[in-house]
Amino acid sequence: MAKRTRSRWRDLPTAVWMLTPSLVILSVFVLYPLGQAIWLGHQRCDSQGDNCRSNGWDQYVDVARSDEFLHALGVTVKFVVLTVPIGLALGVGLAMLADKYLRGIGVFRAVFSSTVATSVAVASLMWLFLLQPDVGVLANVGFIEELFPVVKQPGLVRDPGTALGAVAASSIWANLGFTFILVTAGLQGIPRDLHEAAVVDGAGGVRRFWDVTLPLLGPTLLFVMIALTSRAFQAYGEMDLLTDGGPRPQDSTTTLTYLTYGGDSVINNNDGLQAATAVLLFAVLLVVSIVQLGAIGRRIHYA
Amino acid sequence: MSRGVGVGVLGVLGVVVAACGSGQSILQAGNEPLPTVATTTTVAGPPVTAAPGETLAPTVPPTVATTTTTPLDTLAPCPVDALDDASGPVEITFWHGLGAQLETVLTDLTQQYNRSQDRVRVRLENQGGYNQTIDKYVQSRQESRPELVMFPEYMVQQIADTESVIPVGACVQASGFDTSAFLPRTLLAYQTNGVQWSMPFNVSVPVLYFNRKAFVAAGVDVDDPPLSIEDVRSYSQAIVDSGAAGVGMAFDSGVDSGGGWFIEQWFAKAGELYADNGNGRLAPATRVLYDGAVGVELMTRVQSMITDGIAVTVGDNASGQDALLKLADQQSPAAMTIATSAALGTIISALDGGLIPGLTSADVGVGPMPGPGGTPSALVGGASLYVVADKGDAEAAAAWDYIQFLVGAETQATWAAGTGYVPVRQDALELEPLASTYRDDPRFKVAYDQLTAAADDLAAVGPVIGPLREVRGVTAGAVAAIFDGADVASSLAGAAAQSNALIADYNARN
Repeated sequence: MAKRTRSRWRDLPTAVWMLTPSLVILSVFVLYPLGQAIWLGHQRCDSQGDNCRSNGWDQYVDVARSDEFLHALGVTVKFVVLTVPIGLALGVGLAMLADKYLRGIGVFRAVFSSTVATSVAVASLMWLFLLQPDVGVLANVGFIEELFPVVKQPGLVRDPGTALGAVAASSIWANLGFTFILVTAGLQGIPRDLHEAAVVDGAGGVRRFWDVTLPLLGPTLLFVMIALTSRAFQAYGEMDLLTDGGPRPQDSTTTLTYLTYGGDSVINNNDGLQAATAVLLFAVLLVVSIVQLGAIGRRIHYA
Repeated sequence: MSRGVGVGVLGVLGVVVAACGSGQSILQAGNEPLPTVATTTTVAGPPVTAAPGETLAPTVPPTVATTTTTPLDTLAPCPVDALDDASGPVEITFWHGLGAQLETVLTDLTQQYNRSQDRVRVRLENQGGYNQTIDKYVQSRQESRPELVMFPEYMVQQIADTESVIPVGACVQASGFDTSAFLPRTLLAYQTNGVQWSMPFNVSVPVLYFNRKAFVAAGVDVDDPPLSIEDVRSYSQAIVDSGAAGVGMAFDSGVDSGGGWFIEQWFAKAGELYADNGNGRLAPATRVLYDGAVGVELMTRVQSMITDGIAVTVGDNASGQDALLKLADQQSPAAMTIATSAALGTIISALDGGLIPGLTSADVGVGPMPGPGGTPSALVGGASLYVVADKGDAEAAAAWDYIQFLVGAETQATWAAGTGYVPVRQDALELEPLASTYRDDPRFKVAYDQLTAAADDLAAVGPVIGPLREVRGVTAGAVAAIFDGADVASSLAGAAAQSNALIADYNARN
C-alpha cells in the first residue's frame, strides 16, 4: 500500500506535465470565462460592458426571483419536456426501422440521419416558410387548414398557445439525425445471438424490444437523453429565427437563452444581468444533469 | 442517489424557486427596493438650453453650426487636415451591416473611391447585420474597433454615451463642409443637443404599400392613397364592403416596424413628443410620453379597425416580411400595409420573378405612410456613419474624406438608384442615374418626398433614447396586446412604466 502511494506521487510531475496542454486550454477557454461570467453576474456595467461596479451578490437571488427569469425558466422547462421525450422516442423508432438487413437500407439511414448536417439556422428558416400562414406550404394545405384553423389564423408560430410547440417541432426535427445515428450505433452493438436466444425462448418482437433491445441500449439512451436535455436547455437559434422570443406580449418562447442573448430581450444591453441569467442557466443545467446521472444512471446496465 | 431522491430534489427546487418569486422586474435585481411612487431620475447631462417643445432653430436647411448648443471643443476634435501630413496611403476599415444588393453597390462605390485617389484605402468589413455590428462594436476594446462604423438609427444615444466617436459635426465644422443641399431631417435625426454625432448615409422611411387592383375593384382612388388614420379606415371599409380584398389594412407589431418604429413615426406626425427632454435631444430622456391622451386616442382608432374586422394584425413580424406577405394571402389578403421603403426594390423583383401568382409588380402602389395629421412626413430610418476616435489623426481624416465621398451628390445619386434608399441630399435628384429612376418609376420617389417636409420642432425629429431598442420591445408588447383587444390605456401605461424602468436603469449605468 505504502509503496503504491509512493509510486503514485513519483508519477505526479509526469502527470502534471501530460495534463498541462488540456489544462491550459480548459483554463483559458472554459474556466477563466466561467469565473469572469460569475463575477460579472453581480455587477452592473454601462452598455459597452465597461465601468462595472458591484451591485451586490444578491443580484443573483433577485434575478432568480424576478418575473422575467421565472417566466423564461418555465418556458425552458416546457420546451425540454416537449422536445426530449418525443425526440428520443422518434429517434429510437426510426433507428429500429432502419436496423434491418435489407438491400438499399443505407439510403434510408442516410435520409434519417441527414438532419444532423442541417444547421439550426437552415432548419429554422425552412420551418418558418413551411409554417408562414399566408404563403407557407403547410399552412395552405386544404385539409390541414380545416382540421386545425390555427395553422392559418393566426398561424402556428404566431399563436401564443402553439408557438412553443411549433418551435419544439422544428427543434425535434433538427435533432432527429443526431439521435438516430447514436441509437443506430447502439443497436449495432447488441449481440445478435441474444435476439436469437430470445426467439428460441419464444419471445415476440415486442417482448424482445422491451426485454433485450431497450436494456442493452441503456447507456446509449442515457447519453442521448443527457445530450438532448442539455441541447434543449441551450437551444437558441430556433427561437431567434422563428419567433424572436414571441409572440408578444406573452413572450411564449422567451427561454432562458433568449432572455440572455436575444436581440429583443429586455436585458439586451445589460451585461451584468445577462451574465447572471447565463450563470443561473448553468446552475440549473448542472443540477438537472446530476439528477439524470444519479437517478437513472444507477439503473443502467453496462454490458 | 435513487430516482426518488432525484425527483424529490428537482421538485423541492421548483417549489422553492416558484414560492420565492419576487414579482419584481429583472431590471431591479440587486438594487435597493424602489419607492412606490415612480421616480423621475435626475440625470447629469449637457446643460439644457431650451425647454422641451421649443422650436429647433431653423426651418430652412440647417447647418450643424446654427444648431450647436454644446461647444464642440468639449468633444473629440476632428483633425481633417491630418491627411496632408501622412506619408503614403492611409488604410482604414469600415464595418457595415449591409448584405446582398446593398453590399454590391457599396463595394462598387468604395472601389471607385479607392481608385480615384491615392491617399486613402478603405477596406470594407461586412459584420453580417446591424445587430451583429452593434454587438461586436460594444464588446470590443477601442483598439480593435474600426476607423469607421455604420449603426442603425436607434443607436444615437448609446453610441454618444460610449464616448468612443468623433462627432461628425466636428469634421463638418473643421473642414467647412457644405451641408446646405442635405435634407434637413436626415441630419437632424442624428443630432442631440446640437451635436451632429453621425453622417446619414442609407436612409429609409416607412411607406404605404397597396394592391392597386384591390383599390380599383373597391372603387377608391388608386392615385390618392389614404393619408390619415381616418382615411385608412374609410378605404378599408370600402375595400371590405366591396369584397375587393379580405381586409383593408394589415398591421404588425414588430419591434422595428409596427410595434416600435411606426409608433415613433406616428407621434412625430402628430407633432407630439415621444420622450421627455425634447425627445431626448436636449438632455438624455428620462421617460416616454406615449401613454398620454394622444397615444391612447391613436391606438384606440387603430384597434377599432382590427376589432371591426376591416384591418388585421400579422403579429410580431418575426420573419420581417409577414405584413407584406399578407397582401399575397391566398384566402383573405389585405389590400394595404405599411413597411420600409427599402423593401420596394425587393418587392418589384420578387413579383417580376412570378413569386406570387396573380400579382405583378405593376399592381403594387406606393403612398406616403398614413398617420395622424394626414400630411406626408416621416422620421429618418436606416443607418448612419460614425468616425471612431483615438485611431490616429490621419485615420480620422481619411474616414472623413471617405464620408464626404459617400454623401456627395453623385455618389448619393448612384447609391439611391442602385439600392432604393432615399438620397440624403436634394441635388442628387438632378443627377443620373437617380433622375431617370425617379422619372421612370415615381413609386421610388414617394419615400423621398416624405422627408422634404420641414422638421420644425423637436417632436418632428423623433426620439433619441439610450435603450431605444429595448423600449421598442416593450412598446411592441403593448401594441400586440392592443391589437388583440386589450385595454388601450392600461396597456400603454404598463409599457410606459417598463420603458421608464429601462431608461432609468440605462441612465444609472451610463
